Amino acid sequence: MGRLVGIDLGTTNSLVAYVDPATGRPVCIPGPHGSPLCPSVVSVDADGSVLVGESARQRLLTQPERTIYSVKRLMGRGLADVQDELTLFPFRIAPESQQVIRVRLGEKTYTATEISALILRELKAWAERHFSGPVDRAVITVPAYFNDAQRQATKDAGRLAGLEVLRLVNEPTAAALAYGLHEKQRGLVAVYDFGGGTFDISVLKLISTSEGDIYQVLSTNGDTHLGGDDIDNLLLARARQEILEHYALDLDEHPATLQELRRDLIRAKHALSDSDSATVTFPLPSGSVYTRELRRADFEAQVAPVVDRTMQPVKQALADAQLKPGQMDEAVLVGGSTRIPLVRRRVEEYFHRAPHCELNPDEVVALGAAVQASILDRGTSNMLLLDVTPLSLGIETMGGVVAKLIPRNSTIPASAQELFTTGVDHQTGIDLHVLQGERELARDCRSLARFTLKVPPGPAGLARVEVKFLIDANGILEVHARDLRTEESRRVEVQPSYGMTDAEVERLLEESIDFAEQDFAARQLIEARNEAETILRATEKSLAEEASREMPVSERRAIGRAMTALRDAWEGSDYKLVRTRTDELNQATAHLAELLMNRVLHATVEGKRLDEV
Amino acid sequence: MGQTQTKPVIPAACWSCNFDTGREHFCTACGRIQPLAPGADFFSFFGLPQKLQVDAAELEKQFHALSWKLHPDNFGQAGKRERALAVERSSQLNDAYRALRDPVRRVEYLLQRAGLRKEGATKQQAPPELLQEVFELNESLEELREARQSCNGAQQAAPLRKKLEAAQLNFEGKLGEVDAQLAAAFGQWDAALAAAAGEAQRAELMARLNEILNRRSYIRNLVANVQKELAEGIV
Repeated sequence: MGRLVGIDLGTTNSLVAYVDPATGRPVCIPGPHGSPLCPSVVSVDADGSVLVGESARQRLLTQPERTIYSVKRLMGRGLADVQDELTLFPFRIAPESQQVIRVRLGEKTYTATEISALILRELKAWAERHFSGPVDRAVITVPAYFNDAQRQATKDAGRLAGLEVLRLVNEPTAAALAYGLHEKQRGLVAVYDFGGGTFDISVLKLISTSEGDIYQVLSTNGDTHLGGDDIDNLLLARARQEILEHYALDLDEHPATLQELRRDLIRAKHALSDSDSATVTFPLPSGSVYTRELRRADFEAQVAPVVDRTMQPVKQALADAQLKPGQMDEAVLVGGSTRIPLVRRRVEEYFHRAPHCELNPDEVVALGAAVQASILDRGTSNMLLLDVTPLSLGIETMGGVVAKLIPRNSTIPASAQELFTTGVDHQTGIDLHVLQGERELARDCRSLARFTLKVPPGPAGLARVEVKFLIDANGILEVHARDLRTEESRRVEVQPSYGMTDAEVERLLEESIDFAEQDFAARQLIEARNEAETILRATEKSLAEEASREMPVSERRAIGRAMTALRDAWEGSDYKLVRTRTDELNQATAHLAELLMNRVLHATVEGKRLDEV
Repeated sequence: MGQTQTKPVIPAACWSCNFDTGREHFCTACGRIQPLAPGADFFSFFGLPQKLQVDAAELEKQFHALSWKLHPDNFGQAGKRERALAVERSSQLNDAYRALRDPVRRVEYLLQRAGLRKEGATKQQAPPELLQEVFELNESLEELREARQSCNGAQQAAPLRKKLEAAQLNFEGKLGEVDAQLAAAFGQWDAALAAAAGEAQRAELMARLNEILNRRSYIRNLVANVQKELAEGIV
């Protein structure tokens, strides 16, 4: 089995990290340029070859029409969502985009998911080079405020990159994990995460129990449409305006120049974090030179509205946690944009304490992801993450009103059940529309998915279908339906409103020219073998448990036969056979798994009956 | 002779050995985990009787202890079926904790199960003895809104704000009173349960709890409105 890493798939930069077994500490993996930062920029050549990272960033200046940056802002979004951003980005949206945006890079169009997959593949290659061995599993971080579609798009991107995504972790929680390990903090912690494209605030409680440390998220809030990019856009807009007025030059006609100006303005922005002024000296295509001194005071006045926008989610998160700012024991800063002195001052003023920034704000999320990856790898740990879902989940009812099923900030996994029946005679399907958001009306909330429950025809009101909405540990929705009359239960395939179905992702995997070099079947075999290895190890472990003695001998023998059959298939190269034998072993060990689970639960509840009297 | 709780008498046969499981988590005969009963009782998940007074710290400890055992992260190396079971179980744990940790949610849950309240519906009942004060409050709110819009708004607004702040304090006090009534009713309920009270007495207590909840809802709404109005105009 290949190795496992933690990945921060950021708007501006992406990183990959792992836990060094020698020290037990997480560490970032450097790329070919020596830096652990991989700019989230992708460029596609005329011959179809792909550049990712620093080399692609250079291309932004020379061939902006083939290059894309900040693709994270397009993930899980439809065309209508990004209209206002389009004017400031050089890449072109393909006109046929509607619910899933396609971007034109050179001759081909790509979805945001595919582009993100290219970034992930690059990081995977960095890691494989570092380990001199395969890497096939990852924990990937997402903004805490990402909705279901955005999360699913991230998971799909991982899959397309050839990575099994073990878990999506919220960025502030990952940062808390890295800090908790580093600083050994306990108590109430506020994580203020201001990155390139997204803003998150999470309020956590860190507790030590006899089993280990618990990182419990109490509330989270944010804006997935707010980040350092907005500050850059403000600077760029003003500069363009000044150039238009003073030099009669419209930079919209010079896209490459616009990108160069953007780069220089960003450099100046960075400089202003350490100095009171920075000068931009920019040669224009017309021959004149645009010279501008940026003073910190002016800069702060100009970008204050963007920083102010971060405070509303902060207030809401604290209100939801029923806490006051002064009650926080610690405040932590994450994300490149927190280097701006104005931001630090605001956070310090609000929480009445100097915020932590000892860990590199660019690296801390990847480090946390690596820690979570190692927790999952070992299957047991002395750290436990209890995260929450950021948005309320509901279904549309009569009159376009949303009935809330799972409130925001519910600890995940979380679920809710609803009973449905038919309204008219001979009705064979019940249509459901699932949404995320806090508003009363469906049209003001975010459409998540639609599906139809099939019911056998009959008189109205006879059908009784119980639907379970489950938000898993990744914050992604699963739907299960149970016909109460037949007791049949099954997983419901939903049609996502802003993303691809499993079948579509599967097709992309098969069709992708980029991955043609890797034989599809060979990759499937690797995946199937990994799954087989996992269940074989787990079965061996279970058979060694005392509780397994309760199994009848015939069952033990059946399991043994299934294991042998699977091992045989593993040796071969037929991935479908490996999968079949894996399923068979799964079935053979079903009873055993329940026996062990039963034991675990019995032991816990048995000894802890509370007596109120 | 009343029972301590009415349990639905739905025969539940174990899917494996056909024994009557009585809707427990595990079949008492063969020990297999049972499918989660629809609308499973959150109190019994924590091994608690349906009493309304709950030690919050103790509940949290239980929650943490069960989280360690059930969280999907601790099944990273386990087979598919175990992992699916862990997700199901921990979601039930989280749902149960969410329902029980907040006293108001807790009693709402109890009443929902008894069929007295519909999930998500909040009924508000204006306490008749407060009608006069509520009327005056609404007047003040209206005056403040108008003052804000007029030209010498700041001048007029100041004394109105003072009046509203006083009203806010007043209603927050009332909210405190209602909460105290609720707490007292919790005690009565628990006592009734311990004394194996009959159907009629429990029904009466539940009706009272329901009524207090509705009043609380109304007053809390008032306080929220005033807070919102006062917060406006503050940057």
